[in-house]
Amino acid sequence: MFKDIFAFELSYRKARAANYVYFAIMFLLCFAAVTTDVVQIGGAVGQVKENAPIVIAQMILIMSVFFTLISSAIMGVAVLRDFEHNTEAIMFSTPIKKFNYLMGRFWGSFVVLLLVATSLPIAFMLGDIWPTREADRLLPFNLLTYWQPFFVFVVPNMFFTGAIFFASGALSRKSIVIYTQGILLLVLYLASQSMLRDLEQKEIASLIDPFGVRAFNFYTEYWTPGERNALQIPLQGPILFNRLIWVGAGILILVITHFAFKFNVVQNSLFKPKPIKEEKQLIRSESVIIPVAKQIVTGSTYVKQFLKLTFFYFKMVFREIPFIAIVIAGMLLMFLNAVNLNELYGTKSYPTTYSILGLLSGFNLFFVIITVLYTGELVWKERAVKLNLIIDAMPMPDFIQLVSKFVGLILVYCVLLFGLIVCGVIIQASYGYYKFELGIYFGSLYTETLAFLVLYTLLSIFIQVMVNNKFLGFAVSIAFFIMVIFFSQIGLEHPLFQFGNGSLGTYSDMNVYGHFVTPFTWFQVYWFAFVVILFAIAVVFSVRGSEAVMNMRWKSGKLRLNRPLVLLLASGFVIFISSGFYIFYNTNILNRYANSDDQEERQIAYEKELKKFEFIAQPRITKIDLKVDIYPSKRDFTAEGYFILKNKTNQPISEIHIQENPESEVKNEYIRFDKKNGISKKYDDFKYTIYALETPLQPGDSLRMDFKTVFLTNGFVENSNSNTQVIFNGTFFNNGYFPSLGYNRDYEMSDDNKRKEKKLPERERMMERNDPRGLAMSLFGDDADHLDFKMQISTEKGQTAIAPGYLVKQWEENGRSYFTYDMDAPMCNFFSMISARYEIKRDKWKDVNLEIYYHKGHEYNLDKMMQGMKDALVYYEENFSPFQFKQMRIMEFPRYASFAQSFANTVPFSEGIGFIQRVEDPDKDLDMAYYVTAHEVAHQWWGHQVMEAGVKGNAMLSETMSQYSALMVMKNKFSEEIIEKYLKYELDRYLGGRAFERKKEQPLALVESQGYIHYNKGSLVMYALQDYISEDSVNMALKRFTKDWAFKDAPYPTSADLLKYFRQVTPDSLQYLITDMFETITLFENKTTEASYTEKSKGLYEVSLKLSTEKLRADSAGIESNIPIQDWIDIGVYGKSKAGKDSLIYLKKHKFRTKDNEIKILVKDKPRKAGIDPLHKLIDRHSDDNTKSLIKK
Amino acid sequence: MQLIIDNLTKTYANGVQALKGVTLTINQGMFGLLGPNGAGKSSLMRTIATLQEADTGTITLGDLNVLTQKEEVRKILGYLPQEFGVYPKVDAVTLLDHLAVLKGIRNKKERKELVEALLHKTNLWKAKNKNLGGYSGGMKQRFGIAQALIANPKLIIVDEPTAGLDPAERNRFLNLLSEIGENTIVILSTHIVEDVKELCTDMAIINNGEVLYKGNPLDAIASVSGKVWKRRIEKNQLEEFRNQYTVISERLIAGRPEITVYNEDSAPEGFQKTEADLEDVYFSLIFGKQNVLATN
Repeated sequence: MFKDIFAFELSYRKARAANYVYFAIMFLLCFAAVTTDVVQIGGAVGQVKENAPIVIAQMILIMSVFFTLISSAIMGVAVLRDFEHNTEAIMFSTPIKKFNYLMGRFWGSFVVLLLVATSLPIAFMLGDIWPTREADRLLPFNLLTYWQPFFVFVVPNMFFTGAIFFASGALSRKSIVIYTQGILLLVLYLASQSMLRDLEQKEIASLIDPFGVRAFNFYTEYWTPGERNALQIPLQGPILFNRLIWVGAGILILVITHFAFKFNVVQNSLFKPKPIKEEKQLIRSESVIIPVAKQIVTGSTYVKQFLKLTFFYFKMVFREIPFIAIVIAGMLLMFLNAVNLNELYGTKSYPTTYSILGLLSGFNLFFVIITVLYTGELVWKERAVKLNLIIDAMPMPDFIQLVSKFVGLILVYCVLLFGLIVCGVIIQASYGYYKFELGIYFGSLYTETLAFLVLYTLLSIFIQVMVNNKFLGFAVSIAFFIMVIFFSQIGLEHPLFQFGNGSLGTYSDMNVYGHFVTPFTWFQVYWFAFVVILFAIAVVFSVRGSEAVMNMRWKSGKLRLNRPLVLLLASGFVIFISSGFYIFYNTNILNRYANSDDQEERQIAYEKELKKFEFIAQPRITKIDLKVDIYPSKRDFTAEGYFILKNKTNQPISEIHIQENPESEVKNEYIRFDKKNGISKKYDDFKYTIYALETPLQPGDSLRMDFKTVFLTNGFVENSNSNTQVIFNGTFFNNGYFPSLGYNRDYEMSDDNKRKEKKLPERERMMERNDPRGLAMSLFGDDADHLDFKMQISTEKGQTAIAPGYLVKQWEENGRSYFTYDMDAPMCNFFSMISARYEIKRDKWKDVNLEIYYHKGHEYNLDKMMQGMKDALVYYEENFSPFQFKQMRIMEFPRYASFAQSFANTVPFSEGIGFIQRVEDPDKDLDMAYYVTAHEVAHQWWGHQVMEAGVKGNAMLSETMSQYSALMVMKNKFSEEIIEKYLKYELDRYLGGRAFERKKEQPLALVESQGYIHYNKGSLVMYALQDYISEDSVNMALKRFTKDWAFKDAPYPTSADLLKYFRQVTPDSLQYLITDMFETITLFENKTTEASYTEKSKGLYEVSLKLSTEKLRADSAGIESNIPIQDWIDIGVYGKSKAGKDSLIYLKKHKFRTKDNEIKILVKDKPRKAGIDPLHKLIDRHSDDNTKSLIKK
Repeated sequence: MQLIIDNLTKTYANGVQALKGVTLTINQGMFGLLGPNGAGKSSLMRTIATLQEADTGTITLGDLNVLTQKEEVRKILGYLPQEFGVYPKVDAVTLLDHLAVLKGIRNKKERKELVEALLHKTNLWKAKNKNLGGYSGGMKQRFGIAQALIANPKLIIVDEPTAGLDPAERNRFLNLLSEIGENTIVILSTHIVEDVKELCTDMAIINNGEVLYKGNPLDAIASVSGKVWKRRIEKNQLEEFRNQYTVISERLIAGRPEITVYNEDSAPEGFQKTEADLEDVYFSLIFGKQNVLATN
């Protein structure tokens, strides 16, 4: 019997076109993902090959999650079908056993589902042997790569979801369940992802993720590029457990289904039907006379009809169960995402309105679904219920139906947006934050979001009307979304081609909506006019009556072209064209427009043409004196003044190479030298000019270069490209806008793959550590060593303008505020200019003035930052060298960028970090404001006092030392738990970062601007170093290093120099640490395999541990090999403190010489947990198995 | 006011020629449009109801050109399509009120009275607050009639309205139609001969897109009166009689066929005289071998 039902199911499904369509869609998606850029699912990064097992597995896994939708469609109808087609009575009256019926249907459908799912591996397989693929980015073909993930992930996932959907279809007997459950499960799943993102829960998360994505990530996250290319995804560890759990859950669901399923035709509804009040008919129908009601069909009736229909459709949408399900799912997702709002190293931020808006934008996906789905539903509503002929014969103008459907949907959106605002306010209130900025809520949602919805709704109406088939209409609408992306792929990047383009940009408390409003408005006008044209066309072609053929629709449509409609079409057209021209005039005539291909061509040409000048001898700037005038409300500035250039080489220099800033806003009115010269060559395309001096500049001689730079903002450009440095409030720019000397390497194309495409040689990220050209220049470039600095800077009244140096004069003139800053000591060639409306908090430490310039309302963390400055200055003066300035300032700038940057005695600090962080529990949350402040103050030493050479490893001297310095300040201030937490994040970031290395991982001492090395690994390594050789020894080394190298011009120090100082203070027995930590990539695999204790006598316990320790060395590709171990490693035993927390009762370094070790330790308190390297000082990819709970023996 | 249909033709995209030069003049009162399924009745009705384009030909209603002045026609039109549905989650009162607004009944009080009267008239008062999705076929049909009567239409087009009604409902409906049929043009399309016979003063029979007969039902009956004969035969004789006579209808009575034949002169052998009926006219036109009434 089972066999018959099973076979019947297969043959029934074989004839269903839907299954082939599902297969085709999934196949095409996957195939396009690997052979084109149009679809992006995961993919390879850097050295990982495009068909590496992990890459393919990840793509298959991601697609298997989205396969949920198909799983629900196939499995849901397995039993439901009988109810839908009213064949249940026939089915259930046959002598089939329930078990056979259910299992036959289930397994039959499941096999079909799996066959459809083979589209994934087949598509990837075909895609990878497709002739257009580049062979050097692929590994040799391996069948396992495609089928192993299929069996490990896809089959169990299909089984589990299939069981759920089968059960819900069979038990609910409602088709609406089938349509919504897939979406719902998917949404709930995506929602749960954000909850599981926190670090602590990785292991649990890997088990409770029904699709195994978390288990997969958890198992593979620290794989190096080498491993990623070599290893298949095995069915073991967390992946195995995860799969077992969820296949088990699927079986359980089937068992429950079997018991809960009743072989009855009628099933009691879960909901009691509402009793209908029946009224007695008192009047006999024959005696009724139909009264004569006045019929008025004029313009004002049309308004009434329009309103009636609008509210009717509006209410109709709200009565749709799938609609309600989508909305609830969307809101749920938001609330779940609100749990971990804006976390940075586990520390939350205040739920400011703009960050809540970011959260609310998560609902946009649901808006898209609602828009596509319900424009289709409404356009087709009357035809779907077959009321169309009646409604179409009503005396109303042709446009009323479409317009009221459109406006009805807009009302729906308005209500939803209002609901979102309520959600946002609730979320804020739940965090105890009561600064509800309703203006920003309304100002963003009812402009940007609503405009987007209006555009897409009108577009979908147009598509539905023209295509005249609901499902095809859905498909075309979605295809349109993809097509817009495709447009930019084929070079049509200009916003005038990007439908609906024009975001409102980033909101900032300082600059509010800034200059983004104007372009936003123009783009909306342009696109709105466009969709109005489409809509008018839709009105003409909309089907009224029973004619569906295009030429017949045109025949009746012609009659609809009355004056108002023609007027609408014409005005739409005029506005579309004229706003288009106006936008084009702004983006392309007033500003320079280049799409990314043009941009790349320019980069290539620049390199090919001018690379020869890269190391040509040039004088260096020794003095800068500028007058800078900032005009925030016009977004302009001018800078006029001079550089003194000195020939520091030992040969005469006869040509001065000047590179002007290439941005189109920047022009230099003049560049003059005080020595006779002529232009010998001018590269206008690159704004590169070579001036020939009549008499060469002799070694040691100087010349003065006068110039005037004008930065003019003309018109507007698209928001995503617009300049966010020179703005209404919160201007912050640096000397990059001024003329510089010689070839600028930063303008080169850096992407290795693109370079290969364009036949450019491979590019080293930095110069070798012993390259004399690199040693001769500092990290700030080769334009200057130390220089004298003076600046007069002015801005509009009400704003404060700030540059490095000390304020020596301040006055007002012609409604402008002027400030003169003078630097008393030589500084580097890197300076900031800032202007904003500021509040100022002042303090003093010794004779150093401390100031924080902040935006009113952002007072939350000022005390912490001030304390951070003080504590940092105390520690650094005491341990390194005296502070070189009499002043330290922090100034807030808008959140268009989220960093803090250290200029001489001046630190611009983004409003997006620190200023709005919220330390809820000082014992648990890392104080990022304090920490970032300490780090930036440390740069006054590491980078400003000691400028390092611009060669490999340079960031170890500035960034790693600043990380170390800040870490030591934190160590003095905060609890051990916080430091541990911080280091755990650093370890995670380092291991995560190296997994996605694009080129090659370097040892710390040769780091090439790799943040995960110089910041994250740097922290770990320096913390361990001070632990092994003592903080004092490290500081001693740094003190000596500073003494020898501070304030020196070229040659500059490198990591090799610094390491000498470290080696000096390191005992012989630990010298290997320097090699392991700085000069090589060394990792450990430490593990406690067995742990037990016995009570020797009262108050004396013997802990026995079996430990495994391995030491690994990785090459630059991440290929690791074991090396012999001769290391000192911590052994720790935890007891319980009085507060009930774990506390270390034993911590001591033991020497390890072999992989497996047994150790016995005597402790006096009752031990609970013990292990190797319990504080994670060494870099270990599986840090969670270092300790183990002790078993009493 | 007259509805004049002149030489109307329509061919669908799939090549089916639905109307082949239909010419009809329809006066006020009940007009029956009789024809089998697929004869082109609904195509003609939809075209008159402004919902379908014609390839050639004209339709005028008084001074109005129905094919181009659709808006004006719709103001005075009441239309019940052959097949229609309703919004399932809306009750009868709400939807009738909704449609009344669309028809241009602006006064709320008048609208309420109208809706109530229509519900009483169509015996839906009891179920007025029930969602339309739960209506039976007959109830739905009555609802359709109610909506077609909103705003005193001057032209009422009802396409197969009695299909699916039980005999009592059908009677009530026909009575209702006859009440309003006096100074209004009512076009009733049906394939049930009884409907036309009982109600219509004027009629047309169409098949395959062509008008086979137009005129008064009584005249039609008169034209065959005395020329129709019937006989009960055995099943195996059927073929033989078909070849021999102009058989216009066959039906089973107690399991044995009874055939009706058309014969101008006298009773064929074994046949009895029978009272001529409109049905005989209809069947003789639709199935008759000879076009017996072509001259009318």
